[in-house]
Amino acid sequence: MKKILTIVVSAGILSTAALQAQSYDFGDHSSQTLVSKAWAAQDAKNDAAVLAYTGKCIEMFQPQALEQQKALSAPLTVKEEIFKQWALNDVGTALFIRGQALERQGRTAEAIADYKMLSEQLPYAQCWDVQGWFWKPADAASGRMKALQFDAM
Amino acid sequence: MRVFFLMASLAATTFLTSVHAAGASSKVEIRKTTDGGFELVRNGAPFFINGAGGTGFLENLVQAGGNSIRTWGIEQLESAGGEKNLLDRAHELGLAVSVGLWVQHERHGFSYNDPAAVQKQRDEIRAAVRKYKNHPAVLVWGLGNEMEGPTSDGSDPRIWKELEQLARIIKAEDPNHPVMTVIASAAATKVRGIQQYYPSIDILGVNSYGGAMGVGSTLQSLGWDKPFALTEFGPLGHWEVPKTSWGAPIEPTSRDKAASYYVTKTKVVEDGRGKCVGTYVFLWGQKQEVTSTWYGMFLKTGEKLPTVDAMTMAWTGKWPANRSPKILKIESPLANAVVSRSQEYPVQATVEDREGDNLRFDWEVRAETTEQSVGGDAESEPPAVPGCLASGSGDAVVVRTPSKPGAYRLFVTVRDGKGGASADNLAFQVQ
Repeated sequence: MKKILTIVVSAGILSTAALQAQSYDFGDHSSQTLVSKAWAAQDAKNDAAVLAYTGKCIEMFQPQALEQQKALSAPLTVKEEIFKQWALNDVGTALFIRGQALERQGRTAEAIADYKMLSEQLPYAQCWDVQGWFWKPADAASGRMKALQFDAM
Repeated sequence: MRVFFLMASLAATTFLTSVHAAGASSKVEIRKTTDGGFELVRNGAPFFINGAGGTGFLENLVQAGGNSIRTWGIEQLESAGGEKNLLDRAHELGLAVSVGLWVQHERHGFSYNDPAAVQKQRDEIRAAVRKYKNHPAVLVWGLGNEMEGPTSDGSDPRIWKELEQLARIIKAEDPNHPVMTVIASAAATKVRGIQQYYPSIDILGVNSYGGAMGVGSTLQSLGWDKPFALTEFGPLGHWEVPKTSWGAPIEPTSRDKAASYYVTKTKVVEDGRGKCVGTYVFLWGQKQEVTSTWYGMFLKTGEKLPTVDAMTMAWTGKWPANRSPKILKIESPLANAVVSRSQEYPVQATVEDREGDNLRFDWEVRAETTEQSVGGDAESEPPAVPGCLASGSGDAVVVRTPSKPGAYRLFVTVRDGKGGASADNLAFQVQ
């Protein structure tokens, strides 16, 4: 039941993103481009753009991300191998970025749904930090989810 | 990172008399668990540290479900105030103490190339251990706190080699308590330096703020195969948060801090996969560092802040009978804005109190601190600027910006009159 709810809420967000999508430049429509644009939009505090870029990334590449996750039995540790999981990494990162934007908009239930989906379905996604290491969006999402649940208590 | 005093005298340790309260000395061991982890065993019983850094508000700590405190230097044991020393007070309350043995920092002028100074430090630490080892409140020896330097990469082996010597001295004096050394963040060079030069360490203590939840997995990835404790955690550090256009760090809200404390406590234990033997929350007390509210879990006037409630929930699974008021939001065009001098701005606070207590609001404007302390060294609190409350009261006021250009913060403190409070601030700059 919980998974169904997650999918329903996520689908709702995707629909919203689809409506917003027409006014944004998605570049070459690659997952990397969409996530880069999402980060830039977040830096610019443009949450509408964040939702559009992340929504597009998730909409386009979620099936591949789930397939890549399914093929793994543990988090990868070799940089080159990690980068090969491009859909998993980018969709996982997009879910985290979108969750943050939804939090800022006070859409807590939707943010929790994204974090939950990321934690449960894409736990091996990794994101390269320019400072020289990988971090796991699912770990960060799990923390944010707990924080939001705590705040509501 | 966050030491708020000392570096000073271990002179108090030169007493040769042994100090111990009524009751048997404690014996603390580290035991491997069946799942490949570790646990502390204190006087024969498993002991997980639900601890706090600080020496005050100890009754509150016990009420909140805490079982241990952590000190940084031996002189804290003698200067706790009142007629009893800190170990006696802790023991009476059922609190175990991670007894800090200050190891000098080169950033404070000490030189590990000075044989006489190094020997003096060894003698002082030996004397301290000899003096306190039989006190039943002793849990572990906290040998050093961020002595590698809070901004160091830890690549200098001299400090790790000297810690090995100091740990051997402690173990020769006292085989009944483990030795824990605390570093600032689980950086690879530090962990590898300890692995290479400091084999006598029993527990690695890590002070971490933004990255605290992942300390266990970080250590695991570095091949750390001994127990660890999260020895300081709290809100995002002032070096980790977004800044205003004029460079002022934006303090997390009291609401975010409470959630952060709770989540960190629960997540670090999960992430530690059995190797985490406990945590110490920071700071069980009050201090000025960037602001007077950033790290402290109490107000100067003694009221507990929501972070105390969060830790009560984390430690006991229950809320306290009286929860602190919760500031939901502060709305004002003044927030993070560059404004003109002597102009008026409305400010609205939205606050809830679970018990429906009558709330008192205090609004103050203070200049941004100009002290740039390192590693949590002491700072003084800037004075309040008079005449900034133009009108209004309670949760809605009009603030008049100061007449002198500069960086400022508007603080709001909400008290419930029953020992609970909340405090937030917003930064602004006057041109």
